[in-house]
Amino acid sequence: MEGDIMNIGAGLAIGLGAIGPGIGIGMLASKAMEALGRNPEAGGQIQQNMILAIAFTEAIAIYALVVAIIIKFV
Amino acid sequence: MSKILGSPRTLAILIIAASVFVLSILGGALGHAFGMGFFASSLPAIQLPAELVIYPDVYGFELKNTMLTTWLAMAVLIGLSVYLRSRMNEIPGRLQALVEIVVDFFITLCESVAGKERGRRFFPLVLTIFSFIVIANWMGILPGFGTVGRIADPEEIAHHHDVHEYHDPASAHGEKQKDEKEDAAHHGEDHDSSHLDSVKLHVFSELGAVAFLSPGSLKDELTFAQYKEKQGDVGEDKRAGHLVPFLRSANTDVNTTLAMAIVAMVMVHFWGFRILGVRVHVGKFVNFKGGPIGFFVGILEFISELARVVSFTFRLFGNIFAGEVLLMAMGFLLPLIGIIPFLGLELFVGVIQAFIFSMLTLVFASMASVSHDGPDHH
Repeated sequence: MEGDIMNIGAGLAIGLGAIGPGIGIGMLASKAMEALGRNPEAGGQIQQNMILAIAFTEAIAIYALVVAIIIKFV
Repeated sequence: MSKILGSPRTLAILIIAASVFVLSILGGALGHAFGMGFFASSLPAIQLPAELVIYPDVYGFELKNTMLTTWLAMAVLIGLSVYLRSRMNEIPGRLQALVEIVVDFFITLCESVAGKERGRRFFPLVLTIFSFIVIANWMGILPGFGTVGRIADPEEIAHHHDVHEYHDPASAHGEKQKDEKEDAAHHGEDHDSSHLDSVKLHVFSELGAVAFLSPGSLKDELTFAQYKEKQGDVGEDKRAGHLVPFLRSANTDVNTTLAMAIVAMVMVHFWGFRILGVRVHVGKFVNFKGGPIGFFVGILEFISELARVVSFTFRLFGNIFAGEVLLMAMGFLLPLIGIIPFLGLELFVGVIQAFIFSMLTLVFASMASVSHDGPDHH
């Protein structure tokens, strides 16, 4: 019983935690595409900064994943 | 289409690829559900803390598997730099050219972010962090990491689950009757080990000191409760337990990433003190000039410095640990091929995370070495 609730908790932790970063990465990518369309010469720099920013956003999902893993395996 | 398929060589490649795919689906954990699963090995027990290579310890020193990988990564880096230094050339060879590209990239980056003079000062730490993390991450996905190790016997596993009264039925055949008496006597403590009953044990073929999960070991898997029922008898020349790898990717241990985060932040503040002086740098955090709001902002600034250590630590750890778990799970679901695309992903993630760690160190350092009263203050 306790194990079942822990499984649900782990699923909720990563599932809910992925919503925010998902929206964030979508917004980032859409803005980067817009910038790329306006200014194709700056493509390299835009891409580099986009990847950096996406990695920061993704890190938040990773925190949720760590919490889920801790619930599940510790 | 018919022309492509007509070539015997392409046809052969297609047939081989298709049959490998079918074999991996039938032989994997999916096929296991339908009674096949001839390739499927058990999913290794996933453990958050690093495991002991030698159990229990060496003269009181606990030798962990992530520690071994850290040493290996350091040895590779030192060996590489000594080797390159010894045969440095005007006209660079391939390896030297590669390293020169990386070094040049980071020098340019540091100078463009922090300015010429300060950039040169930050550069050594930034490149050290980058190269160490890249080497450690890429080493972690080499074959043999996380797959070859020793067997942790059931008693050790029980110990990890805080059950200290556990007796391995396999080793206690002689004292069986005594055990049963003890069992009856300690019946009250039985609820202690009840959660242990559902923990899975993997079965290894007897191989001496070195063990790995062989293909087809999934069907032998059993829980502690079943193990007890069988009196520890899992078959001829076989042993039950968990796999404890000798080598495990260094950044799957929070201690490694925390240590690097602390080193980075301590150096950032060291530079803050050196470049701005004690009074100005402390003044950012203990601020009496700006009135109550300024004081409060100073406290917030201090808290955000602490939060940086935490986010440094968990960003790197989470990415690499999640990658390891992903690789394990894919190898478990689709043996032979499932792991291949994710190896490429892990190569990418390894570089990106290393770059982010070093880039953030650089940015924080250049932010800490600028006074809040304006950039041209000193």
